[in-house]
Amino acid sequence: MRWGGSWRTCFLLALHLVAASAQGEVFEEELTLRPLRDGKLEARFSFATLLKGATPRNPGALTVDDEAQHYTLFPLALGQILREHAVTELHLTLNAGKWNYDHWGYPEEPGVGTGAELWVWMADTSPSSVDQRWQGLRHSLAGLFCASLGHLDDQRTTSPALTFQPEGSLPNFTHPHQLRHATLPSEHVCTENLTPFLKLLPCKSLSGIASLLNPHRLFDADWHGLGVHVRYRQDAGVEVRLAFQAVFDPVRYSHDRRRDWSLRSVFDRTIERACPVARSSVVRIELPSETSYVMSPGPTDVVDNVATFAIDSGKEALDISMQWPGEGSFEYQDTSKAPPLTDISVRRNLEGTGQAEARLTLEVANNLPIQVSAGYLESMPWHLQFYLHTLRAHVDGAPRDDLVNIISYSPPVPHSRPALLQAVLTLPPHATLHLTMDVSKPFLRYTEHPPDAQRGWDLPPAVVVPFAFGDPLSTNGTAANEPPSGSLRTQQRALAQGRRPRRMYTPVMLVDLATPDFSMPYNVIIMSCTLIALIFGSVFNLLTRRFVVVEVDPRPEKQAATDDAQ
Amino acid sequence: MDSDPDFAFPALVAARLLLAFAPLPDALKYDQQLSSPLTSYSRLREGIYLFQHGIDPYSGGSFRHSPLLLSLFSTVLPLTPYTSALLWTAADAVAAWALVRIWRLRTGAKKTSRDRQIAALYLLNPYIFLPSLALSTSSLENMLCLLAIMFACRGRASASLLALAALLQLSLPSILLLAPVLLLNITRPVSRLALPQPLDAPLKQAVPLLAEFLGYTVLLTFASTLVCGNWAWVEKTWGASLTLPDLTPNPGLWWYFFTEMFDHFRPFFLMVFSVHLLIYVAPMCIKFQHDFLYAAFLLLGVLAVFKPYPTLSDPGLFLTMFSIFPEIYPYLRHPIVTALIHLHASLLLPLFNSLWLRQGTGNANFFYASTLVFGMGNGAALLDAIWAGLRIAIGELKDGFEIAQE
Repeated sequence: MRWGGSWRTCFLLALHLVAASAQGEVFEEELTLRPLRDGKLEARFSFATLLKGATPRNPGALTVDDEAQHYTLFPLALGQILREHAVTELHLTLNAGKWNYDHWGYPEEPGVGTGAELWVWMADTSPSSVDQRWQGLRHSLAGLFCASLGHLDDQRTTSPALTFQPEGSLPNFTHPHQLRHATLPSEHVCTENLTPFLKLLPCKSLSGIASLLNPHRLFDADWHGLGVHVRYRQDAGVEVRLAFQAVFDPVRYSHDRRRDWSLRSVFDRTIERACPVARSSVVRIELPSETSYVMSPGPTDVVDNVATFAIDSGKEALDISMQWPGEGSFEYQDTSKAPPLTDISVRRNLEGTGQAEARLTLEVANNLPIQVSAGYLESMPWHLQFYLHTLRAHVDGAPRDDLVNIISYSPPVPHSRPALLQAVLTLPPHATLHLTMDVSKPFLRYTEHPPDAQRGWDLPPAVVVPFAFGDPLSTNGTAANEPPSGSLRTQQRALAQGRRPRRMYTPVMLVDLATPDFSMPYNVIIMSCTLIALIFGSVFNLLTRRFVVVEVDPRPEKQAATDDAQ
Repeated sequence: MDSDPDFAFPALVAARLLLAFAPLPDALKYDQQLSSPLTSYSRLREGIYLFQHGIDPYSGGSFRHSPLLLSLFSTVLPLTPYTSALLWTAADAVAAWALVRIWRLRTGAKKTSRDRQIAALYLLNPYIFLPSLALSTSSLENMLCLLAIMFACRGRASASLLALAALLQLSLPSILLLAPVLLLNITRPVSRLALPQPLDAPLKQAVPLLAEFLGYTVLLTFASTLVCGNWAWVEKTWGASLTLPDLTPNPGLWWYFFTEMFDHFRPFFLMVFSVHLLIYVAPMCIKFQHDFLYAAFLLLGVLAVFKPYPTLSDPGLFLTMFSIFPEIYPYLRHPIVTALIHLHASLLLPLFNSLWLRQGTGNANFFYASTLVFGMGNGAALLDAIWAGLRIAIGELKDGFEIAQE
């Protein structure tokens, strides 16, 4: 019997597949590439492992030893953390950069808030243990991903259940599930976060699509973010999906400023071989609307403007390229004339030059010809305190306070809880809603300022979710003023088909708070105590010592001292 | 009410009312000298707004007013720009009237020539009318304080103790005034600084009054709890004076001290500063047992310097009350120095605050230094008042004799 290399490979592959299907684990990987209209390229890697038939651990059984879990493809480190803290659904994103909704459209992964964002749905237990498990979970994830997720303590944790609905199903345990959400906008993302991320994949970065994840290129992108999403699908099992999203700029990489790109030019790598344990391994390219490009090699399949390349183990290395041969150097579109690619555009600012109070403004522009209802979520740490009674809404200069409906508000507690504001905004067609609110900047203790205190504090992004399109009363949802043209009609038809609400994140803001003089604690204590002691001592002196009248005249026979009856 | 056919008082009140309706006060609302986190008008409006929308205003940390104010302004007296200007002007007018009544009771005359001056001094003192224009609730506290003292001077114990209990609900440090006001109820307010005698009224008479005061306090506390539905308000209102959670700058001495304090020492120094306020009560009352009005006046001075969250109203009240003790004027040792220090500090406080927070060209030390100077000015006024109050008992000295302390 000869054990040639190919026989050994086939034997191992068969063994893996048998093992995987016996356990009920399925691994699928996918890369989606989308050329954007400003010459950039959006790439989204998605690695999904499904543990068939599994259910999340019941937190009521946390005191009992867990049943043995055998994972082949499912990441063990992450699985252990999920079962240790009895987590049903988890979403962790680590992003860097500002997602430009107007020019890049909606991202493939909705969680694009800058910095670290962690939200989990966990079931409660009978003396409530959610907060304790949340803390344990944060620290475990911080250790796993080398990110300072331990800073997401109760100064940053809220529970905005209206905006962050569970994406999977929640099993029916004794007590209901609770949401914990926290953001750390100042968290940086770098290779040390990517390395443990890759370790969670079955094939690591050795084969399959993950071999394209070259940190030198990924962290050079205009926008990049990695995400870990765990959810429970009732009919399937527990699914872990690792995602990496990035926006590259081929124009910047090319020496003659052309927007031609290929996997080699963008990632500096190609897909050498497929991951043997992946059930499906595909690359999808969203084809641009104009036809002046050339794509090579030929795709396996083209459906509905999306070209699909299936990666087979036998073929040679895959290097997809897209070129515009007729074009010279890329010419950028005039951004002021280009229509926005999303239904609404959001901008948030902090106005005011003082360090005692400021004004928060939010501008939401409705780009559709129909009325849109959007949910607005602000979870603001106590570093900015809202004066909710000064919240005003204007459309075109006219006050329209009726367009803002506050659903819930929990005020901030200094040195602990953040503020949570959830409101519903009603946006008239083709109009911009301006919200303004006075805010006050608190004064922190000496020990609460970070080492670089003059930089200021990063404030987490606001989340706007357009969830209702069109006036619920009219079935067509047409604008009153203009007859709908052909493209508008198709737009309205698509909208009326019930689009899934998608979260939009505003950029983070920086607030600079007044700092005390950090060199002065001793001096302040001694000066204040000196003043207090001086006054106290003088008062004590005056109140306790008797007054006597003494004669200072040196004539000896008139020497007399009179006591005063005090 | 003995109304005075003189037109000066109504004229002053009308002038204040006009000033209250002027557009200027909008800029004063956020000024840190005029309102503290416990008295700020915008926080009051925020609390009322949350209360009316079903959110507990005491669940968060920015509303620190008493629940009685919450219920008053959300039911009986809604706060609009017109009603608030009227209310605050009325509070100032009532306080000025109470001060004039105290003066009249002290001199025993029905009408004197100084009445107009005293009313004008209260209504036109910038330390008092600026916080009132900024709609800081410290004006209401001043009104209750003067009403409590006035009713005590008249011997109307119940009214006096009720006003004092209401004042305690608004501001915890006012507990210092309990002893002198209680004892003022059983003695006469006539000036006896020049002829000190031991306490002539039996102390036993004060015990039922103390019980009455405690009864009023308990009643108002339970009323506040009914308004809120829980006891969270205690920690946020009274607890704020004891634990200093909000470090917003003000003209007092506590905020920067506790900003720069390390966490390990914070509880100890909070305890020291709070107990320090209490140790002035007994000595002042014992030393001035012949004139409890003067003891109350001196304790107001102590509050002005050492209160946790002062505004300009507190030293304003103290300085204005100098006007009802003209007998001590010849015996003040350094009135001009005190006045100049006050002038110095009162000009520098807003300037340095603005340089630090609005223009960004100064830092916190500038404002802190001006609060130290302000504290010195108030301390100098307090010390001068104590000295003069004691010195007056000795009277004129012949040539060749000097006062000394042993």
